[in-house]
Amino acid sequence: MATRASSANAYLLVPIVLMAALLGTAVIRGPSLITESGIGSAVIVAAPVILATYALMVLAVAGRGTVDLAVGPLLAFINVVIVKLSTAEILSSPIATFIVAIGLGMLYQLLFALIVIWVRVQPIIVALSGFLALTGINLVILPRPGGVAPEFMMSWGAGTTIFSPVLVILVVATLSWYLFTASTFYTNLKMMGYDERAAWTSGVRTDVVRIGAHLIAGVYVGLGAICYTALISSGDPTQGQSMTLTAITALVLGGVALSGGRGGVTGALLGAVSLWLIGYVLATFNFGAIQAFMTQMVYGIILVLSLLLTLLVPVIARYVSFISPWSAFLVLGVIVLSIMMQVGTFDTYAEVAPVAVEAATSERYFLIEPARVAADGFRISPVQAFALIAGLGAIAIVLAARLVDAESGARKMGPFLYLFVAAMLIALFVAIIVQPDSSLFGVPK
Amino acid sequence: MTERSDTRGRVSVLPMPKSIALVWLNIGLSLVVAAIGLGVGFAQEVSAQRVILFTILTATVLFLLLNYIVAAFEANAAARAEETEDELEERSGRARKLWRNNRVLIIAMAGLLVLYLLLTASIPEFRSIKNLIGFLVLELILLFAFKVSGQFASGRSAFIGLIVLFALIVISAFSIEGFLSGPNIKAILLFAAFLGIASVGQTMVALLGGLDLSIPFVIGSSNIALLFLITLGVPSFVAFGFILVLGGIVGLLNGIMSYRLQGQALIVTLGSGFALAGFTQIMTSIGSQFAGNVFGTVPKWLSNLAAMNGKFIGMNFPPTIAIWIIIAIVMIIGLRTTAWGRNLYALGGNRRSASLIGVSEFKYWVGCYTISGVFAALTGSLLLGWSGGAFIGVGDPYLFTTLAAVVIGGTSLLGGNGGYGFTVIGVLVLQVLTSFLQGIGLQYEWQQFIFGLLILPMVALYGRSPHIRATV
Repeated sequence: MATRASSANAYLLVPIVLMAALLGTAVIRGPSLITESGIGSAVIVAAPVILATYALMVLAVAGRGTVDLAVGPLLAFINVVIVKLSTAEILSSPIATFIVAIGLGMLYQLLFALIVIWVRVQPIIVALSGFLALTGINLVILPRPGGVAPEFMMSWGAGTTIFSPVLVILVVATLSWYLFTASTFYTNLKMMGYDERAAWTSGVRTDVVRIGAHLIAGVYVGLGAICYTALISSGDPTQGQSMTLTAITALVLGGVALSGGRGGVTGALLGAVSLWLIGYVLATFNFGAIQAFMTQMVYGIILVLSLLLTLLVPVIARYVSFISPWSAFLVLGVIVLSIMMQVGTFDTYAEVAPVAVEAATSERYFLIEPARVAADGFRISPVQAFALIAGLGAIAIVLAARLVDAESGARKMGPFLYLFVAAMLIALFVAIIVQPDSSLFGVPK
Repeated sequence: MTERSDTRGRVSVLPMPKSIALVWLNIGLSLVVAAIGLGVGFAQEVSAQRVILFTILTATVLFLLLNYIVAAFEANAAARAEETEDELEERSGRARKLWRNNRVLIIAMAGLLVLYLLLTASIPEFRSIKNLIGFLVLELILLFAFKVSGQFASGRSAFIGLIVLFALIVISAFSIEGFLSGPNIKAILLFAAFLGIASVGQTMVALLGGLDLSIPFVIGSSNIALLFLITLGVPSFVAFGFILVLGGIVGLLNGIMSYRLQGQALIVTLGSGFALAGFTQIMTSIGSQFAGNVFGTVPKWLSNLAAMNGKFIGMNFPPTIAIWIIIAIVMIIGLRTTAWGRNLYALGGNRRSASLIGVSEFKYWVGCYTISGVFAALTGSLLLGWSGGAFIGVGDPYLFTTLAAVVIGGTSLLGGNGGYGFTVIGVLVLQVLTSFLQGIGLQYEWQQFIFGLLILPMVALYGRSPHIRATV
């Protein structure tokens, strides 16, 4: 039973492994990633791509080979419309901006759905048509990058804190998908994507489901456009094509099936973040003049390789059925988080002078930094205490989790896993935030 | 009744309608149109020989065309009359039936009329004879596309494409000074040749139900790699051949990698294209202080091959056009008559039955991608001759235009339907439209916008998939 159950999500193995490897490398190569501003700016830079990938994911799940090539130009279209309206001082309040952005996204996607349903042209052709038309009209609206974003967005793109409004948008978008998966509509959507005829014959109103899927995608594109506007604080009509290509790449890296019926925000999120991490890791190497070409080449190679790896997923799922994606996530997550903590705290220990022989017991056993001990006696800093506790706690929880995992079958680890991962993430964030100089554990910027 | 088996849809190369009255009608119509042409020609003070030559040409071509259409109509009407003799009593609700059968056409034509009237009423500058002609031609296209093209079951998209092409040329010739001048036609054909050669591979891959998005990257890469090799001192002919082989190898790899991932061929080729473009730029910038840029002189023969002032065996047009024509003839005849071509259609139509009669899917899939790579490399090399300088982004406009040309021509992206002849029509439509839009002073962004809006109705006319209830 466990084998069959685990194969439902086996496609997530590739993105999880990829993401873990990349995150580990990224943290080691560029430790400044795990500072408050590092993570904050990462969230803001990655958010538009993540949301665009979500939109593509919903459409891909809806089947018929729907890859909305126009997602990038649509995002840019909403971006330039917002900027144009805001420059003309028609649009200033947040609520109106959100309504305009989401409304435009939904309107376009509604049109898309109606054409696919009534005119019955292949979605890829509608997408191609939309791509060309929107790319053109973007340049008409705003011939060159410029303009000003609405006033309230100005502070969003700074990226100095983790808990920016962009993160809130991202979290809400992700959580609402998880809520959505509990509905019957989602089941119908997956069924329609997997086999539209079967869904139709069993009474699913496929037209309604398709329109619904497109509307959801429209909302995601609208949110993505808001994040993008916040990121660049102005309008840019030229980034549509690269945004489309990036989002499609992220979609595929996340293991979403372009043939329909398989996918979720987990995969899309992993894919988009992996893609961002590839860029980050490459940026830490210094290739000089050929940096951009190297990035392009590695993008391409990783894209092709991850596609070829998905061919191996059925094989892996057959022979290694005891590895469920969730347990892989757990194990790799712990490894990566410990690497992050290790890197983050590295300098704290590296600065340390050799422990004196006459040091107190606690110093000898826990390697607590004597150099920073005040003259009036030993005092452990709250961050160090926290790191210590978190490390020990992680080890204990991993052991417990392994037991629970073995007990409960492979499909889902239930709330325990979620709680554990959430606790680890919150711990990391808290550690970053309590740091007075906003750089984790004293890593120099 | 005796010719019953002969009546349905059999149209020979030069058909004649059976009814003599119709033949006379056609002759009359052709002569009237030719006479109008004659009058207009003399009014414009064109030289008399040319006017007479064009009048005769117009009359002949129009006569043949009308005969062709009328014969097809006659054959179908005869076949239909036999079938529906006993259903004549259903003619009571004739008006309703007319509406039901033609509602899309009527709505479209009415919509166009309203749009035209609105524009005419609101914008004073819009009230010109050119725009009236343009409007009438558009209405005619709609009528033809819906009513006449149905008579040609197999070549429907080609018919619509040709009508659109014809209408575009007529509208452009009326509204743009010097549209039909020699240099402009040469320019249109030259750019059509680049696009056409680049679309060869896309057409063949689409016939199998795949997509190749690596074409623009192969074009850009071969463009800079060729100049790089030439500046290294490799003899230019050798370098040219070498680049074609490299393009073929890239295509081969694409084919092998995407064979098991056919649904995701789009992404595989995109990824390999990225990798290729990055790799080529890294290779060409090693040991050079201009990162990614290659400077050098293009050999004379290559410039002559593709530049606007090129000579082809003494004639005053670049050989690229001749190359394209040869490729097109070979492709059209090859796909229609050779076993290889027929097997390609068989595979595109139904994989399973094709493989049951012993057609290797793998060989054909990889073969098509290899050809695609070779022709993309050829386009890149020719573009080097045209521009005289290497630039990686030279292929970028071809990312979706090759796809658009294939789709507008009428080759189905699902495979098994279409051909290179259709793509040629699609390429010409795109190029003539581009030239027209440039001629009336529209910017690049408006051109793109109109391309986007054009693709949808073109495909909707012939590329609709059946309703789901028809497939269960």
